[in-house]
Amino acid sequence: MELPDQLLYTHDQALLGLMIAIIMLGMGASLTINDFRAVARNPKGVFTGFLSQFGLMPLIALGMSIVLGLHPAFAISLILIGCLPGGTTSNMFTYFSRGSVALSISMTTASTLLALIMMPIIINLYTVGFTAQLSADLRVGGEETEFVIPTGNIISSLVLVLLPVILGMILRRKSPGWAKTAEDTAGFLAVIVILYLIVTAFLRHGDLFIKTPKEIYIASVGLGLAGFFFGYWFSRLIGMKPIFQRAISLETGIQNTPVAFAIILLSFNEPVQSQMLWLAILYATFIVMTSSIITLYFRRKGKFDWDVYKNIQIHNRLFGEDYVTHYPDGYLPKRLVNDPSQGTQPAQNRKKAS
Amino acid sequence: MKSIQCNRIVAKNLALLYGEAARRFGKMPAFATRKSALQWHPVSYKELYNQGLNLATGLINLGVMARDHVGLFGDNRYEWMLADYGVQLCGAADVPRGRDVSDAELHYIIDHAGIKVSFVETKQLATRLLKLKPQLPGLEHIIMLVPKADVPEGILTLDSIRQEGARLRESGDRTAEERIAGIKPDDLFTLIYTSGTTGTPKGVMLSHDNMMSQIRNLPGQYGCSDRILSVLPIWHVFERVIEMYTISFGGCTYYSSILTLSEDMQNVEPTFMASAPRLWEKIHEKILLNVRKSHPVRQLLFHIAYFLSKQYKNSEYFITNRNLKMKPQPAWQRFLLMPLHVLRWVVVLPWYGFFNAAVLERIRLGAGGCLAATISGGGALPIHIDKFFNYVGIPVLEGYGLTETSPVVSVRPKINLIVGTVGPPIKETEVRIVCSDTGKILYPDNGCALNGRGKRGEILVRGPQVMKGYFREDTLTGAAIRNGWLHTGDIGMMTHNNCLKILGRSKATIVLSSGENVEPEPLEMQLLRSRFIDQCVVVGQDRKFLGLLVVPNLSEFGKIGLNSVSMSELAVMPEAREIIKKEIRRLISQTGGYKKYEQIGEFRILPDKFEIGKELTNLFKIKRHVVAEKYQDVIEELFTKTSKK
Repeated sequence: MELPDQLLYTHDQALLGLMIAIIMLGMGASLTINDFRAVARNPKGVFTGFLSQFGLMPLIALGMSIVLGLHPAFAISLILIGCLPGGTTSNMFTYFSRGSVALSISMTTASTLLALIMMPIIINLYTVGFTAQLSADLRVGGEETEFVIPTGNIISSLVLVLLPVILGMILRRKSPGWAKTAEDTAGFLAVIVILYLIVTAFLRHGDLFIKTPKEIYIASVGLGLAGFFFGYWFSRLIGMKPIFQRAISLETGIQNTPVAFAIILLSFNEPVQSQMLWLAILYATFIVMTSSIITLYFRRKGKFDWDVYKNIQIHNRLFGEDYVTHYPDGYLPKRLVNDPSQGTQPAQNRKKAS
Repeated sequence: MKSIQCNRIVAKNLALLYGEAARRFGKMPAFATRKSALQWHPVSYKELYNQGLNLATGLINLGVMARDHVGLFGDNRYEWMLADYGVQLCGAADVPRGRDVSDAELHYIIDHAGIKVSFVETKQLATRLLKLKPQLPGLEHIIMLVPKADVPEGILTLDSIRQEGARLRESGDRTAEERIAGIKPDDLFTLIYTSGTTGTPKGVMLSHDNMMSQIRNLPGQYGCSDRILSVLPIWHVFERVIEMYTISFGGCTYYSSILTLSEDMQNVEPTFMASAPRLWEKIHEKILLNVRKSHPVRQLLFHIAYFLSKQYKNSEYFITNRNLKMKPQPAWQRFLLMPLHVLRWVVVLPWYGFFNAAVLERIRLGAGGCLAATISGGGALPIHIDKFFNYVGIPVLEGYGLTETSPVVSVRPKINLIVGTVGPPIKETEVRIVCSDTGKILYPDNGCALNGRGKRGEILVRGPQVMKGYFREDTLTGAAIRNGWLHTGDIGMMTHNNCLKILGRSKATIVLSSGENVEPEPLEMQLLRSRFIDQCVVVGQDRKFLGLLVVPNLSEFGKIGLNSVSMSELAVMPEAREIIKKEIRRLISQTGGYKKYEQIGEFRILPDKFEIGKELTNLFKIKRHVVAEKYQDVIEELFTKTSKK
């Protein structure tokens, strides 16, 4: 598939850059030092999330690229998206899906830091075949260059992206009021800019949507869905409690796409840049829809567990840490009967008691 | 297969309900009392029942007979509930009233109801009753509820009677069980004296059957994980039905108070709450205040969010046929408008989704964030408050009822929520609309187009919740219940989507000297939208035009620079008068759809706020006759002075 020479004009790129900076600032503004400490408090959850985010998700991306026979540029982009860290969007969706927001924030924090190490390794490892193919294509085209993954650039763009996050955290410490505003504004801006990009892309290159082959659509929709699916079942099989299953599932499927935009713009050049960017834009669009639907589904499905969990939280908050809530026999389903607080309140753990 | 969490206990009487709840919900907390913000004391269903049995045995030992009337004077606290348990479990009925009961009322009620044994909450109340005792030959024992306090001589304590009962039960006394078995469905569980908005107290006789029918017929699905925050006066029948309802599904009631409400909402995170309109107005005010105080960007975000939600919800209501329909809507109109609404719904959906999640959720968190529904009753909810909460995403289920109907006649169910109405009548309940002058049945009327929907008249109710009558007031009973139909005295209509809409109280209707009938309540509600008007009363019976008494909102005037120490000071400020005048013109104008005779001709700013127990009922309803009496001179002056001009 041929893409127009320039998917984004310079001013679009500047706008995108600004948006990334603001979004990352907003992300930082939502974090506190406590969130980092929380990682240590729930190592099992965070580790499961880590395996799911940096183990499962890149593998899914690689698998999809091979099965769908994607063009190398798209494949590299998909794998890049696959190993992105999580963002604040997943925290919001987790909140509404009645999952553990604490775990979601912990996973976002941990994966953002770990991305500095994990992303270069995974990208290099998984894209070997595709870079070779790209180089071969280039040689056929008569060019004497070899396509290599710009590892150094990826790391430096990651560092660059992390700067506003740190700024945001400082802002939060200095002025919580402003930090709240930054958080809200960031979310709003993200939606506006993504819509702007889609609309301008549509107006300028309306045929692009038609020209884009269906594999690309399948990949951009499927990556998130597969992430939700495998993230859910992986954490479930490992024995995580329902509220954590929902958090891990969403964290796995929802990636921090602004980071992808930054890396693609800063580290890759044409001819692959536009194609990579296009896939990232499509993914960013579809993930909002798929995660909204999944969230509504989780929200409905998880209502009972959540009500029980919440009730116990409040009993322990108001009646004392060691208050034990005795639900009537037969009220709780098997998955909750041993620990209706789902691992969040030690006093409620019946296994140890008996 | 029915799962247990959806099952409400259906029993033959309250005593059996209490027993079954103890058996089924055992160690789950039933009631929680606040010690400090984050320290509450729970009492389980089993404990409560056992203590109740002990107390009942103690009461029987004291000489309380089956079907006796036992006084219960006090406000929300655990011991109140325990006293109620005790009374029900010994087959008697309680006669409740709040702590603010006056000596005259106390005397009247105890004498009229033939009370032998009476609970009182505080030491202060106990001493007051002790002074009245010589004039009340029937009154034998006074029992104080408050546990740790020095007891005046001649007063028993709840604890001592409970302990005596416990001793008796240990030695094999099972009289309480015999009493429970002897309760008939027709027996009273309570005798509530209403002062209401009119006249002398009347004793409303409510039977076990009345209450059990309410529990059976109220809509909604709740379970053991639900938390109910209680702020209404416990002895009011609206609050009591919520308490009994809660017991029937095993939820926990948390006793809060007006002063600690917002803090308790944050800490308890209630899933359900019942309250009177005035309280929702307060919460609404507070939310708007917080918005106004917040950063300009966030204010803007809130206004965008609210606007989008309004568009979205209105289209949703239209599409699902849940818009208020006071007039019939022709099919072609619906057919033509439908695509427009569907289009708007689809276009707004993603934006609404985002703003709902990012902005409105914060507002909801201010109310704890877990509220699945709130119920408003005991007075009409102003439409703008109603809309506000529904747009923000806190569904308000407005209900309608009277003490005489134990109390629920109709309530909006969550799945069929039509803003502006009080919902369809609950199960087993029939409603009629009749012409208040001729008595002609307007709804249901098969002979009439649309079965008589949309016609206004007096509301009549027939159903299992209707009281047995007024105690020892046969003529009054006969006037209220005719041929099995309770005449409510309220004016309403059946909307075209089969919901009841309340249009006012016929007793409050103002007839102008020109013969025009004016319902003051809708006008007052419209005027309450002004941030400068805190409370107001429309007057004008037999006058040429309408007058208005205004209780101004001092802090709002302060904000625009009109600082004044008191309302009487504000009342003489010409600027304040000018503002109120403008507000009245703005809110009730002929261009806004108000008729000429509905215009407010003149107004006065009152020197004092309305107070509960004086001008307001415990549910913040205005007692018009009290206001009219108290401000007789002001009203007289208002009309004479202006007509001379």
